[in-house]
Amino acid sequence: MPLFVLTMSARALGASTEEIARLIDAADAGATLVVPPGVYEGHLTIKKAVTLDGDGRVTIDGGGEGTVLTLLAPGITIRGLTIRGSGSGVEREPAGVRAETGPVIIEDVRVEDALFGIDLRESPGSVIRRNVVRGKHLEPGRRGDGIRLWWSHGCTVEENDVAGSRDMVFWYSEDLTIARNTVRDSRYGLHFMYSHNTHVSENVLSNNSVGVYLMYSNSITLERNRLLNNRGASGYGVGLKDCDDIVVTSNAILANRVGLYVDNSPSSADSTGVISRNYIAFNETGLLATPITHANAISENAFVENEEQAASHGRGDLSRNDFAVNGRGNFWSDYAGFDHDGDAIGEVAYEPRSLFFHLLASEPNLRLFIHSPAQQAIEFTARALPELQPTPILTDPSPLTALPTTGAPIGMSSKGSRAMGALGAALAGVSALVVLSLGRAPRLAPTGHPERATGGQEAAS
Amino acid sequence: MIAATGVTKTYGRFRAVDGAAFELSPGESLALWGSNGAGKTTLIRCILGITRFRGSVTINGVDVSRSGKIARSMIGYVPQELAFHDDARVGPSLMFFAGLRRVSSRAASRSLEAVGLAGNEGKRLRDLSGGMKQRLALAVALLSDPPVIVLDEPTSNLDASGRSEVADSLRAQRALGKTMIFASHRPDEVRALASRVLVMERGRVAGDTTPEELWGSGGDPSVMRILVEGDGEEAAAEILRRAGHTVSLNGHGLCVTVEEHRKAAPIESLFRADVRVRDIEFLERTDHSEAGS
Amino acid sequence: MSTLSSVSIETGRRSYSGFGASVAALARREFRDALSSRWFILFTIAFAVLTIGVSFVSLSGVGSHGFSGFSKTSAGLLNLIMLIVPLMALIAGAGTIAGERERGTLVYLLSQPVSRTEVVLGKYVGLACALCCSLCLGFAVSAAVIAWRAGGVGVAAFSLLIATTCALALAMLAVGLLLSIISRRANVAVGLGLFVWLVAVFASDLGLMAGTVLFRLRVQDVFALAIVNPLQAFKMAVIVGMNASLDVLGPVGAYATQSFGSALPWMLWSVIVLWTVVPLSLGVVLFARKGSI
Repeated sequence: MPLFVLTMSARALGASTEEIARLIDAADAGATLVVPPGVYEGHLTIKKAVTLDGDGRVTIDGGGEGTVLTLLAPGITIRGLTIRGSGSGVEREPAGVRAETGPVIIEDVRVEDALFGIDLRESPGSVIRRNVVRGKHLEPGRRGDGIRLWWSHGCTVEENDVAGSRDMVFWYSEDLTIARNTVRDSRYGLHFMYSHNTHVSENVLSNNSVGVYLMYSNSITLERNRLLNNRGASGYGVGLKDCDDIVVTSNAILANRVGLYVDNSPSSADSTGVISRNYIAFNETGLLATPITHANAISENAFVENEEQAASHGRGDLSRNDFAVNGRGNFWSDYAGFDHDGDAIGEVAYEPRSLFFHLLASEPNLRLFIHSPAQQAIEFTARALPELQPTPILTDPSPLTALPTTGAPIGMSSKGSRAMGALGAALAGVSALVVLSLGRAPRLAPTGHPERATGGQEAAS
Repeated sequence: MIAATGVTKTYGRFRAVDGAAFELSPGESLALWGSNGAGKTTLIRCILGITRFRGSVTINGVDVSRSGKIARSMIGYVPQELAFHDDARVGPSLMFFAGLRRVSSRAASRSLEAVGLAGNEGKRLRDLSGGMKQRLALAVALLSDPPVIVLDEPTSNLDASGRSEVADSLRAQRALGKTMIFASHRPDEVRALASRVLVMERGRVAGDTTPEELWGSGGDPSVMRILVEGDGEEAAAEILRRAGHTVSLNGHGLCVTVEEHRKAAPIESLFRADVRVRDIEFLERTDHSEAGS
Repeated sequence: MSTLSSVSIETGRRSYSGFGASVAALARREFRDALSSRWFILFTIAFAVLTIGVSFVSLSGVGSHGFSGFSKTSAGLLNLIMLIVPLMALIAGAGTIAGERERGTLVYLLSQPVSRTEVVLGKYVGLACALCCSLCLGFAVSAAVIAWRAGGVGVAAFSLLIATTCALALAMLAVGLLLSIISRRANVAVGLGLFVWLVAVFASDLGLMAGTVLFRLRVQDVFALAIVNPLQAFKMAVIVGMNASLDVLGPVGAYATQSFGSALPWMLWSVIVLWTVVPLSLGVVLFARKGSI
């Protein structure tokens, strides 16, 4: 492959993208162009299968209008570029990088201040890898998607880092590989619309409204993803809506408003859902499902310290799903039963009956009183007076009494422990200091000096 | 120095103090004389401005109701019994009051020395004898060297030696020219410390006189309680007053001050007026040697 | 005689300076008394032990990790705080003035050159310092446990929890002090304190829950009624501080977040501040207007 090394010197601010366009015009198809470092202003459209390599030192600035970089030929590779300054009007959907035919490879590109980050339209077989996308500073409702695939089958999207955008979204795209991406501070971390047969693994989705939202998409496996602190308006770690044959396994679903939300999945008569070996912890609601949801096999998950372990979204219960497979149920941290025969499976079924949450189901406004002694009082009353106890929301016939090995990327965070320790020490120190200085009994001075007392009456004399 | 006019304090329908009035010049020492329930303590609380009342009391021209804090800064107060946290120690307690009166710890030490309590700083209040407690109260009262000292039966809970300790300290203060008001029902104490006596009876000022006028200059007076038959107490009191006796009523007989060697005089007066005496009793007979001089 | 000369100079001086100094002196004594009192030590230990317990229970057996946002530990601590801190503060406040009145030490204190306002504020400040120290010690232990076991509730969030808890304690202390001022006896005051605690912690919430279910109250009504309770205001202030939103609290919380947005923390804090300022001012006024001790 011929390699053109340009002798042009590095450009200061103000170079035009026309210079890159001229380079491309001069090159043969299949050539690798190393663009001289610098900032290039303007838009660029590539119609030839070349590799454009900026080595991380090339910036293309669209000046806040339109789509900055458009790829119109199969076989294009762009690498090591910074793309910034797309338009911001939603109607024309301006993007940082847009491909309208595949396959293309977009690698190590940084897109910032763009309405849509990387947008693939009908570009099958493309690879989007190790890119960084930062959205425009807009209110969430006006943002575009960080990465979008539209009718692009067989693509690989991996190790991208997206923040402050709308979604990383997949429309009508099948047979994808989605791995090791990070999406945070966005709307939906990963959003599937009518996109089937995909493997989604080891992504980290934090502080979004929803971590992963699958809608009308079938045969998707979610594995070893980490869904942390997604607590926006819907606030699901994982949301499943009308999806068939979904496998959710070995995910760490932590501190979301709702860990796992299932709405009518599976929806077809002969399909099933598998939810197993997930570590679902510290969410307000661990598992939330609409009452029509059925035929899910939910087993060997760890439900740990969720405020409400499982709940029904609306009147009804979760009894049309299986909470044990082959005699193995789930681990519930609030399980109060016992394991008599030492097989790590409780002898008494797990049947959560919280009067407070039962009341909540019919009167959601009562959630205001959560985390209060009044809530405890209600639960206590229900325990003391069994006739007040509601029917259980689910029955796990074989609850696990030991934490199962889930393989979920729980992660150990010792971040902040030093600061917390310092806070503790500071608090103790300050209070001890106050106690010692104020709490010390005052002492009488020895007499012997016949000087007058100060203050009081004498001050006036 | 101190002026009280129309001081009236009512608890519901009961008039604890009823229109009391007096004036006191600097250096004078006034005894409030009367039996229990005569209103001495209530009057003292009015003077201190810690209770609401009708009428007015001024200390050095400062109205105690309106500017109680300023007025109280000119008063050292000694209660019947020092009421402070029993667990507290002498030194820190004194320092607390020194803080309130804004005097130095050195002045506090001197004050403690003045009442003869130096060296007891580390003792707990509950371990002090009654006399020591009252002297500590006096030390607190003297902290800021106030011109006025107010005492509410400072020796009533003390034994003989305690009484003499406190009396000595008070005499010393009197000699320093302090203006003093104290409640007492002990004639010897009044005689020793007061230049004037305000006789109180059922909340009213029944007389403003001197100890000499009240008891003559002769021997030490005693107080006799006379119980009469029936409900003729008022009439009996009237008869005795006309006969020149000092009488107070406290709902439990008549308290009459009698002079040494003439103790039968009131009985004789009553007998002559056909009032039948049921019983007599001497209250706290004074003992010359005990009171000290 | 220096006293006499000073008297004449002082005549007409209407302002006795040193409001702050008196309050400080009273506060220091109150603080010391609290430190050596049984309830304080008991509560400090109880609070520390319970916070350790909650921190351990919330973090144990789950592989220990800290999460930002509203964690289980914070929720557990919140519950504990809402149960124990009001009890602690109400009883501390309720015991103080009524207790002194009962022991007779209040008269003696008021006879010093202090105003009633100074006494109330001094006691309040002293007890407030003692309470905050007690709470901080408990939180320090809890922070140590969290740091050791997990380490990441977030220092900022935890600090906010501490600050808000102290504010809650101050509010409840003010209410307790008010109860102490209006009660004649310490037992009555403490009884009232317990009653208020029951109402604030359980009865009002349960009543409001019943009302919400029975009358199908609208969200704005539920919210308005709920934040009147300082404990609910406290809870929401902590959650909104940690979470920037009240979504955790369901539709009512979402309504509050949407309607008031960034004004919400201020609203909640002002409820707590009002619960401090109003009872305290009321206490000062009532105590000053009291006819007797």
